[in-house]
Amino acid sequence: MREILLKVDKLKVEGNGKEILKGVNLQIKKGEIEALLGPNASGKSTLAQVILGNPKYKITSGKILFKEKEITKFPSEKRAKLGMALAWQSPPKIKGVKLSQLIEKVSQRKIKIDEAKSLLEREVNLDFSGGEKKISELLQVLSLNPKFVIFDEIDSGLDIKRLEKVARIIKRELIEKNVSILLITHGGQILNYLKPDWTWVMVEGKIICKAKDYKKVLRTIKKYGYEKCKKCKFLAD
Amino acid sequence: MVMKNVKNVNFWQIDHKVKSIFALKGIVVLSSTKAWQKFGWTRKFFEEKPKEGYFIWVKRQPDFPLATCITIASPKIYQNLSNLLVIEKGIRAKANVFCNAEKNNLCGKHLAKGKLILKEGVFLEYNHIHKWGEKDFVSPDYEFALEKNSRLIYNYQNLFPPENLEFKTTIHSGKNTSSNLNFVINSLNSKTKVKDTVFLEGKNSQTVVRLRLVGRKKSQIEAISQIFAAAPGKGHLDCQGLLVDKTAKISLIPQLVCQNKEAQITHEASIGKISEEELTYLKMRGLGEKEAIDLIVSGFLKI
Repeated sequence: MREILLKVDKLKVEGNGKEILKGVNLQIKKGEIEALLGPNASGKSTLAQVILGNPKYKITSGKILFKEKEITKFPSEKRAKLGMALAWQSPPKIKGVKLSQLIEKVSQRKIKIDEAKSLLEREVNLDFSGGEKKISELLQVLSLNPKFVIFDEIDSGLDIKRLEKVARIIKRELIEKNVSILLITHGGQILNYLKPDWTWVMVEGKIICKAKDYKKVLRTIKKYGYEKCKKCKFLAD
Repeated sequence: MVMKNVKNVNFWQIDHKVKSIFALKGIVVLSSTKAWQKFGWTRKFFEEKPKEGYFIWVKRQPDFPLATCITIASPKIYQNLSNLLVIEKGIRAKANVFCNAEKNNLCGKHLAKGKLILKEGVFLEYNHIHKWGEKDFVSPDYEFALEKNSRLIYNYQNLFPPENLEFKTTIHSGKNTSSNLNFVINSLNSKTKVKDTVFLEGKNSQTVVRLRLVGRKKSQIEAISQIFAAAPGKGHLDCQGLLVDKTAKISLIPQLVCQNKEAQITHEASIGKISEEELTYLKMRGLGEKEAIDLIVSGFLKI
C-alpha cells in the first residue's frame, strides 16, 4: 500500500471575505498522478495556492498534511523546502530579474529544457506568451527537485506539439522518478498523455466526484457539462 | 570596498591628504588648489579658492578609464571638495568616480562641488559610486556643461547610504547634445534629498532621466526631478520609487517647465510597494522573505 503524501482534510477557505473552498477533502499517494477537473471559478486554483501556503487566502477550518505532518500554518518557503511545488496558471512578472538569475537562486538540481533556452536571458514572465509562461514554470518547478508538484492549467495556451513535449518532460523528470503530481485542468487535454490514477471533480468549492476512469469523466463532462456531475448518484462525499 | 587597482587611479585623496596622483600624457591631474594657482582660466569654474579636491584636464584621447577615489578614513573628518573635470573637443572618455568611508562609524562629512565641462563633440560615461558609513553626511553638487554635439551618460549608485545624503545634479545642455542620467538611490535608516535639473538650452538637445528610489527601514527620501526646456529639445523623466518597509517614506516631484513651443518634454512617475503576489511567487520557489525582497529590489534597480 502506497503511503499518503498529501492530505487535505475538510478544508474551508475564504478569499476577500467570501467562502471559496467549502470543505475540501483530497488525498494523494506517493508516486500517484491525480487530476482535478472543474468549471471556471470552482476553486481549483485557490486550492493549489492554499496547498502551497499563499497568505492571500484565509483557512477558516480544516487542515493540510504533507508526509503526515500538519503544514496548515507553514509559510510557502517552508513548504517548498519540504518538496512541494506549484506551476502557476498566471505567474507574476518579476521586472529586471532574468529567468536564469531566478533559476540560479532557487535551483536544487541542473535541468535542461531546449524550449526554455531562449527564455533564460529574458526578465521573468515579462512579455512571455501563454506557452512561454508554461515552459518557464515547468523549468522552475523541475529545478526545485520536488516530491510533489501541482500543475495549474499547464495545458492551456500550449499547442499540440508543445503539449506532447511538456508531457514527455513531466514523465521523464517526475513520473519516472516517483514524484506525485496533481494536474489541474479545465479542458483535460494533458490527461490523454499523462493518464491519471484518479480524477477528482470540483464544483462550487467542493470535490463532488472521484473516479478511476478519467476518460469516462471527460466524456460525461463534454456531453452534459458539470451540471450532470452535480446530479450524479455516485458523488463523492 | 577599496580601490583595488590603485596604480590606475588618477586622483586619490584620503581625508584631506592627496594620497596619489597619476597623470598620463595629455591628461593633467592636480589638486584643485594647485590648479587655481597654475591655471588662471580655471578660476571662473570655482566659486572660491578651492581648499581640496581634484582638477583633471583631458587634452588627449585617454586609453584607459579615468578614475578618482575620495575616501574618509578617520573619525569626524569634514571634507569640502571642489572638483573640476575638463574634457577637450571630440574626446571619448569614461570616468569611474568612487567616494567612500572606510568604516561604518566615522561620522564624516563629505561636501563636494563639482564642475564638469564637456567641450564640443565629447562623449563621457560617468560612473559615480558611493559607499558610506551609517553616520556620515554627504552632499555632492555636480554641474555638467554640455557643449555642442556632446553626449553624457551619468550613472550614479549609492551602495551603502549615509545617514544624510543631499544629492544635487545640474545639466546645461547645448545644441545637439544628449544626456542620459540613471540614478539609483538606496535609503536605509537615512534621510535623502535628491534634486536633478536638466536645462535644455540648445536646439535639438535631448535628455532622459531615470530615477529609482528604494525606501528601506526608517528612511525618508525627497526627490525633485526637473526639466526646463528653453529651446526646441526633447526630454523625459522616468521616476519610480519602491517602498520596501512600512517605516519608509518617499516623496517624489517630477517637474516640467516648457518655455519653447517646439520642445517636447514628458514624465512618468510612480511609487509602489513590493507586490505581495511577486513575493509569494518567489517564496513558493523556496526563497525566504528577505531573499525574495532583495531579488525584487535588485530587479527594480536595474535600469
